[in-house]
Amino acid sequence: MSRRHVLDGVKVLDFSHYVAGPHCTRLMAEAGAEVIKVEAHAGDTSRHLPVIKEGRSGYYIQHNRGKRCISLDLRTKEAQDICHELVTQVDVVIENFTPGVMKKYNMDWAALSKVNPDLVMCSISALGQEGPLSKFPGFDYIGQAYSGVMGMTGQAGGPPALSGMAFGDISTGAHAYGAIVSSLFHRANGGGGQFLDITLLDCLFSYHEMNVQVYDASGGQMVPKRSGHRHSFVAPLGLFKCGDRYLIIIAIGPQWANLAKLLGREDWLDDPRMADPVSRNENSDEINAAIEAWLATIGDAEKAVKILIEDHHIPAAPVLDVPEVMEHPHMVQRGIVQTIKDPVFGDLKIPASPMKYSQFPEPLELQASSVGQHNEEILREKLNYSTEQIASLTESGVLGARDDT
Amino acid sequence: MSESHILSGITVVDFSHYVAGPHCTRLLAQQGAEVIKIESPRGDPTRTLPLIKNQRSGCFIQHNIGKKNLCLDLQLPEAQKICHELIKQADVVVENFTPGVMQDFNLDWATLKDINPELVMCSISCMGQTGPLAKYQGFDYIGQAYSGILGSTGDKDGYPSLSGMAVGDVSTGGHAYGAIVSALFHKLHGGGGQYLDMSSLDCLFSYHAAHVQMYSASDGTVDPPRCGNHHALLAPLGIFHCHDHYVVIVAIGQQWDNLVKLIGREDMLTDPRFTELLARGENQQEIIDAIEAWLASTADIDEALKRLQGNHVPCAPVLSIPEVLEHPHMIARGIVQTVNDEAFGPVKIPASPFKFSLFPEPLDLQAAELGEHNYDILSRHLGYSDEKIRQLETGGISATNPV
Repeated sequence: MSRRHVLDGVKVLDFSHYVAGPHCTRLMAEAGAEVIKVEAHAGDTSRHLPVIKEGRSGYYIQHNRGKRCISLDLRTKEAQDICHELVTQVDVVIENFTPGVMKKYNMDWAALSKVNPDLVMCSISALGQEGPLSKFPGFDYIGQAYSGVMGMTGQAGGPPALSGMAFGDISTGAHAYGAIVSSLFHRANGGGGQFLDITLLDCLFSYHEMNVQVYDASGGQMVPKRSGHRHSFVAPLGLFKCGDRYLIIIAIGPQWANLAKLLGREDWLDDPRMADPVSRNENSDEINAAIEAWLATIGDAEKAVKILIEDHHIPAAPVLDVPEVMEHPHMVQRGIVQTIKDPVFGDLKIPASPMKYSQFPEPLELQASSVGQHNEEILREKLNYSTEQIASLTESGVLGARDDT
Repeated sequence: MSESHILSGITVVDFSHYVAGPHCTRLLAQQGAEVIKIESPRGDPTRTLPLIKNQRSGCFIQHNIGKKNLCLDLQLPEAQKICHELIKQADVVVENFTPGVMQDFNLDWATLKDINPELVMCSISCMGQTGPLAKYQGFDYIGQAYSGILGSTGDKDGYPSLSGMAVGDVSTGGHAYGAIVSALFHKLHGGGGQYLDMSSLDCLFSYHAAHVQMYSASDGTVDPPRCGNHHALLAPLGIFHCHDHYVVIVAIGQQWDNLVKLIGREDMLTDPRFTELLARGENQQEIIDAIEAWLASTADIDEALKRLQGNHVPCAPVLSIPEVLEHPHMIARGIVQTVNDEAFGPVKIPASPFKFSLFPEPLDLQAAELGEHNYDILSRHLGYSDEKIRQLETGGISATNPV
């Protein structure tokens, strides 16, 4: 049998909204899984986030491609019964409500594992299903604040800087994806179903590739602090201005010797103050001043990057803004930007899935749904409901009305 | 078969170094896979990164727990042959050299798929295996610069800000993990082996949850600049000063009503400058001033947070690393894991973010010395005789703890 993609045949019931959960189920849909998204009648809140065109949100489209949508009022017993029936037929349930909400809907792991013992259920939350903070609603930046990620970003002495994108949500969606597929693999080898408690906090905290162990192992002597545009522990690593643009230069490994030569400072190579990346950081003013002096003689960031990387093998890059990224020949050649043709919204560019499989080089063609677009189709196809039953559920408000914007 | 975790029975040959690749293979090891790390006699450069104690690097330990270590000089054909033999028996190969290097070593996908057609091979790079930038050596922040992440972080008119951690490396390792287990799942269903081209650039670019579609759908008229400490378009969403500390407040949904009532500014609910989400973004300075005035009127940051939380306004204190490690919630979740390294001593690292109900306890894993498992791997996996193993060491093909 030829397979359409790596997750062919996997069925997902998706109770998630906003970004972290939807990004995870988007990755699953893009890998070939069948995803049914259960939405409240009013729809996922992200349907109202910009850009809105013809009543459709580009934001919603980006994070919800390839999912069919059933709109249900989960507070009603009938809606919960429908979900339980669907759960018997699926492999995976995903949700990202504030902890406790799924239990109110009779849809917590204790309830669903009885309905389908082979189920893989993944709860995604900002701060986790347990612990003193778990009851509070969370967003990406809340997780960034508690994980120490935000405290590590921005100029020293000033307020922290807000990262201009959803670090926590996207990364947590991807980690949840990895945990879910691992569990499916385990189940396929006879391991049975299980529950996954994935959080923004845990994922963001794992970004500290150095900070935690350095603080701990130094007995609290080395306290990681935000350091603006230069690294706090190693040098040379940081942003520099050249002309009216910024570039990043990293020469902490063997490239240090190349940089010293380029700057005409071979003497540094025998200088004990410059022996390793940490001691160089203690004397970084001298190094940074020499780099800045050299950049002033070049005067053009793109040209400086070219000299650094092509002639001297010193890792360097120009700092691009988003429009520049989208037009860059390398990004174009890699297909990093994907164009979605939405029937209502029109053409829309979004970041493509970063998972590139040799067996499936072409992305699947997937669309985002409108609220309740597949109410009838799903109930008929999955649960054999009759037209009368569906009409009656719609009338009583268990099923939402289809809204094609 | 006794089973210690969800990936028990999977064998990984790992050619990776620094952080992005090692983070991926660490996640595989933490999930029970057998990981054989092939390291050059010079050693993974991470072995020299801080903190160094008893000649061991805490940074190396963090990213390499649970891996066996085989030290080989990959420039030599005999070493390449040993790798081919190991790969014949393995399920997964992971590498993160600059594109082209694996081909120099006779270890590229074209070669390896002939040796093991069922192999899942994952190359992790900064810029990808294709495109004009592919040939350059890259690091996390290089990917951040090219993906528009750095350009979106920091003050609008000043320098962009570095994030003080490896956002690109760790996230790319996490994405690569997901792609690898997906390919293993596919293989289990008869799909065969395949090659994965993962890059930091692609992963970092996917972080733009809103920006790319906004720029595209507005035909280039909406291009949010880097926004300092408050969101460029939405408010209130940002970092607020509060009694010599900072708090983050996110009140862009129905929490807006709760917030204005709490701070005694119900007038904002009917003021046309603040009734719509995007209008609040345009007029955000007045909102910021009102919130900071209210924060200043509270007794301290604890009281401010308590009242915000009590009124269902999402908020958090901006914590430093020491504060994170001591926070009762982090302790309750076991977010920090202590590794008892034989040489280094106990060291705290971030725990795996994967929490499986069937395997609640993390496996007890150690980071290896360079070449620590040369004998074990060559003898047990490949059936080499003691004499042959000795010859490989004297010939400089393999080495035990040379640094």
